[in-house]
Amino acid sequence: MSETSQLSTTDVIDTPVKVRRKRKRPLGFYFAATWIALIIFLAVFGWILPAPSWDTSFYDSLGVHPFHHSHILGTTLDGYDMFAGLVNGARLSVFVSLVSVTIGGAIGTFIGVTSAYFRGKIDMIVTMAFNVMLSIPNLVLSLALLSVLAYSDENHPATMSRRVGVLMLSLTIVIIPILGRIARGATLQWSSREFVLASKSMGTKNFTIIRKHILPNVAPAILAIGFLAIGSVIIVEGSLAILGIGVPGGASWGSMLANGRGNIAYSPWEVYLPAGAIALTVISCNWFGDYVRTSLDKRESKI
Amino acid sequence: MDIARLLVKRLVLMSTVVVIATFLLSLLMWMLPGDPAQLLVPNGTEIIQKVIRHETGLDRGIFGYYWHWLSHMLTGDFGKYYLNGGYREVTEVLKRCLPPSLFLILYAQIVALTLAIPLGLISAYKEGSRFDRIASTVLFTSVSVPGFALALILSLIFAVQLGWVDPIGYESPFGDPWAHFKLMILPVTSLAVGLTSSYTRLLRTDVIATLKEDYVTMAASKGISNRRVLWKHVFRPSSTTLLTSAALNMGGLIGGTIIVETIFVIPGIGYEIAYSIGSRQVVAMQTLIALVSFAYVFFNTTVDLLTNITDPRTRERRV
Amino acid sequence: MSSLLKIDDMSVRFQTPRGNLKAVNNVSIELLAGESLGVVGESGSGKTVLSRATMGLLPGTATRTGTITYNGQDISNLPKDEVRELWGTGMAMIFQDPMTALNPVRRIGSQLTESLTVRLGMNKKDAKEKAIELLKRVRIPDPEAMLRKFPYQLSGGMRQRIMIAIAVSCEPELLFADEPTTALDVTVQAQVLELLTELRKEANMAMILVTHDLGVVAGHTDKIAVMYAGDVVEYAPTRQLFANMKMPYTEALLKSIPRLETPTGSRLPVIEGRLPDPTKNEPGCPFANRCPYVTDKCRAEKPPLTDGGNNHFYRCWFPIGGVK
Repeated sequence: MSETSQLSTTDVIDTPVKVRRKRKRPLGFYFAATWIALIIFLAVFGWILPAPSWDTSFYDSLGVHPFHHSHILGTTLDGYDMFAGLVNGARLSVFVSLVSVTIGGAIGTFIGVTSAYFRGKIDMIVTMAFNVMLSIPNLVLSLALLSVLAYSDENHPATMSRRVGVLMLSLTIVIIPILGRIARGATLQWSSREFVLASKSMGTKNFTIIRKHILPNVAPAILAIGFLAIGSVIIVEGSLAILGIGVPGGASWGSMLANGRGNIAYSPWEVYLPAGAIALTVISCNWFGDYVRTSLDKRESKI
Repeated sequence: MDIARLLVKRLVLMSTVVVIATFLLSLLMWMLPGDPAQLLVPNGTEIIQKVIRHETGLDRGIFGYYWHWLSHMLTGDFGKYYLNGGYREVTEVLKRCLPPSLFLILYAQIVALTLAIPLGLISAYKEGSRFDRIASTVLFTSVSVPGFALALILSLIFAVQLGWVDPIGYESPFGDPWAHFKLMILPVTSLAVGLTSSYTRLLRTDVIATLKEDYVTMAASKGISNRRVLWKHVFRPSSTTLLTSAALNMGGLIGGTIIVETIFVIPGIGYEIAYSIGSRQVVAMQTLIALVSFAYVFFNTTVDLLTNITDPRTRERRV
Repeated sequence: MSSLLKIDDMSVRFQTPRGNLKAVNNVSIELLAGESLGVVGESGSGKTVLSRATMGLLPGTATRTGTITYNGQDISNLPKDEVRELWGTGMAMIFQDPMTALNPVRRIGSQLTESLTVRLGMNKKDAKEKAIELLKRVRIPDPEAMLRKFPYQLSGGMRQRIMIAIAVSCEPELLFADEPTTALDVTVQAQVLELLTELRKEANMAMILVTHDLGVVAGHTDKIAVMYAGDVVEYAPTRQLFANMKMPYTEALLKSIPRLETPTGSRLPVIEGRLPDPTKNEPGCPFANRCPYVTDKCRAEKPPLTDGGNNHFYRCWFPIGGVK
């Protein structure tokens, strides 16, 4: 390195850095953590809250404004309780996004890590497959997958659970190449490090090396991107619902939004509330992911 | 020569990706339960279905069908939409739906770049200042806001409640430019907010790195103004990632406009894709998605090649 | 000769996460027109900061105190815009690493003519002619073709000559050369130094040559300031310094000059021990921990800059050869 290329650090500060002032976590981190905790709480324990049933229509109170005494966040023009809808939507969104990102991430990581570790033909094929899948915008891909997988003729509409299952499957397929590519890139970096070579030279089995040396180093990066992926899964779910192809009947946030669009002039909270919930959740996931990523960068730079 | 070989290699790679992607789409369609021809014309007679089956190559098995589709694509025959009792050429539909999408994407890119370049330069130049911190937070937040939520809320506020613009529709710029721009404001804003944020962040990171380079101090020591240093010496070397990403988005945005076009009812390519999927026009759907995928891969490859050829630094690495 | 640059009691501090870092402490230096001063020290001694602070090229985290008089004008409190007016035309700088100090995406021609058109207001044609003349002066063969080239097409020595051509393009009165030869091969080093001295004599240009290598300054400077941990520890005319070295530190530096027979790779001088922590305020002579002649007094009290006669100043309780 050149001796004075960066005046403020190299030429002047030549002594080893010992004390580092503890970095304050950004405010956004606390906000994001709180919101994510709240959503998870609602998703898991939402049923104990004294809220009306989400799929019951109250014909005597159609389109009630938020902060009404019996419907805290109001009702839709069709008389569905907004708060109950949001709580139920949280459960579905958390469930769908967690399951698809976990499964898709696990498969993607497995494929990415093994192909990058062993290189050769497998790696070429995997890279090509990822490129193929990434060449189709993820919304288009999940649209196409859904339209095929959730196919039903008019006489026998698909059941709700099948639709949710199919939705998760398509989202999982969309996630695989995204996280797979990250895992592949990270593995390429780590597998050329000295400690991996040293371990290899001592005759350690490949899968032991992957388990002991590669995975622990790759995992944090996957985790950080995983949070971002949860955000984009929620966005895709909402988009699909707006296109009329996701989960029907106001069972998810996106679906509430899609139903509320038509009533936008009469009961705008039908749009504001689910859109706000989606936006806040995505923002929180991104903030959280970004925090994980930057704290990892620091860990890396200290080595 | 070096560059020619690179070009050929990339072209081969690019076509392989597109061919595999479209073949997978065919396969997907093939997996649909039931007869594709019946999907295309649910109410058509047996004879019509037979004609269609022959016309689209559906009667020749998955490989036969795919080859039929691909060879026709390459000669410019993009297939048809089969409507009850008639058909429309996909080419005709494309002629109609490409311009709105292209305008939408072009405007969004222009708006995003015009905002992002000064924002990125200034916030990097004033790294850590109050301006930088506020801009970074706002941009990071807005990049996370889903496009559809933004689109719906914008349309709710400015079209429904304030009534400043019409909530839906599209007007050609050659017919009524004023109406065209008025209708485009909200969709373009919905797309541009996310783009601006991501461009600004990309540029800021690169500019911060460039500002630490010796040649920037060197340029400053010539006694030229800060503005000149930033524009002439910092911006160019820092802009590679930004321009790459902007070009890549040209392809990616075509898919990304689906939602915005649906919400604002703009008859663009995204709208057509959603329509073809919804109405199960599988042949048209395959063609449209293939075009989007091709556009993405094409821009990807071109940008890669261009940066390889034009940036002296990559040449330096090759030398 | 008249005084060109007078630095009076200049200190530079950096704000760092670990606290206030003292990079330069109360330095006073005077330079006459056409004179050449060598600033010598290890990396971390504050020599680069001294030159950049004098010019005003410091990052925002730095604060500078003291006065700098340039051509009779106090420039230490001038607004940034007015200081910038002096850059290039009055004071110019050559950077250490020619590989990184030229903009990789712009042609040599545009980098060379920039000062000419922007600062001197030349038109493109005149600027090009002048650029060719400058390239000839720094002995670049086929200067016309050079204008069209990118930095990556040139060797380190060529790039350093280009940088020198850029620095002298507006005929400055004072040139800062910050380790101009460190990144170059030994043979090229000599050529570049020779070139600098020649250009300096031709135009009666003053120069501040910053280096860690006492050998470099020996033949190319009129006087030398040796720096250690932000202090000027020895300050004397070049001949006087080499003939009558006072500081143990200067002696150690001289011993550590890499010779031709020194194996490549051992680039930096090696003196046992480390520089003191520049964020701490420790009593005693900063060199005490590494000094072969250290005494208790050295550890307890920091020596002042002492006038040893013959314009020779040193900062030591027990200078080599004893106190006069």
